[in-house]
Amino acid sequence: MTRLGRLLLGLTLAALPLAAAGAHDKHLHGGGEAAKTKASMPAALPGPLPFKVGGPFDLVDHDGQTRGETDPEGQHQLLFFGYASCKAICDVALPRMAETVDLLEEDGTIVRPVFITVDPANDTPAVLKEATQALHPRMIGLTGSPEAVEAARQAFQVEASQVSRDIKGRPIYAHGSFIYLLAPDGEVLTLLPPVLGPDRMAEIVEKYL
Amino acid sequence: MRKSLGGLALAGLLATSGAALAAPERIQVTGEAIDTWCYFSGVMGGADAVVGTAHHTCALWCAAGGIPVGLLADDGTVYMVLKLEGDDETNGGDTLLDVQSERLVADGLLYQRDGINYIVVEKVVANEGITNLNHEDYGPVPPFAIPELN
Repeated sequence: MTRLGRLLLGLTLAALPLAAAGAHDKHLHGGGEAAKTKASMPAALPGPLPFKVGGPFDLVDHDGQTRGETDPEGQHQLLFFGYASCKAICDVALPRMAETVDLLEEDGTIVRPVFITVDPANDTPAVLKEATQALHPRMIGLTGSPEAVEAARQAFQVEASQVSRDIKGRPIYAHGSFIYLLAPDGEVLTLLPPVLGPDRMAEIVEKYL
Repeated sequence: MRKSLGGLALAGLLATSGAALAAPERIQVTGEAIDTWCYFSGVMGGADAVVGTAHHTCALWCAAGGIPVGLLADDGTVYMVLKLEGDDETNGGDTLLDVQSERLVADGLLYQRDGINYIVVEKVVANEGITNLNHEDYGPVPPFAIPELN
């Protein structure tokens, strides 16, 4: 097996016991934040994001319809950049994002999961539709011209560079992996490290809704 | 392994845009650049085994695969690295590969959000290289991270 294959195997294995991830979440937080229950979280909304990220984009969804940063149905959005054939971080982050959406829905909150490809050459609307629907029925896959996708990446400061090819000859990318919470109008409210468990992600998202 | 990183590339990208925004705190952190997935998930072993030389190869692969890099400070606090000196982008960057498992003294801006510490490293003022030689205790973690020689 190649080194890359072993990496992908490792990441796949790492993705399996998702529930374990929450066990060490406390290390991420200062001041014992993770130990707080939802009930003890501060009621006040966090302030605006203290740095500039995000912005308008003009892409095509997996049904071929034009879509920008605004959600047509007025929903908050969870946004992740990746690519359909990714067996690395996307296989970790996207299922977590989908599970987070389900957890929020159980509490009566509808949030739209959105997946923007970094590989528009291969991720056509049809490819994205298959990939997103396998993850979550309400997930929207977005692609577009290379220029439009690059503009979206730049707006969110997401780096993506091809590092190799898989055994089928498809490109493998290293790419940024934070998940963004967007307001219905597309404003970035906060970002979520993909290493957080869905419970913690949902807890954070609910503070902004 | 690159020990000195390139020029500062922050201009305008992370500028705050109004008095209402919380000003970031300027801090200096001494600690190890780590693979946050394996560190927090525990799936590859305990926290002491998924740092240092034992986990270096896997950490490189994880960073290449998009796993965010963290800075594990000596007091145990983990800072999620949003950007490292020399990166053009906030979210991900090849530069981070260059410092995986290395012990850094980093000057930067601390942003605390949702109980999570984020750091934008403006300057790596010292890089001691990989100093945690824990492969002597744990071997490679995980073993399959090391390529087979055929």
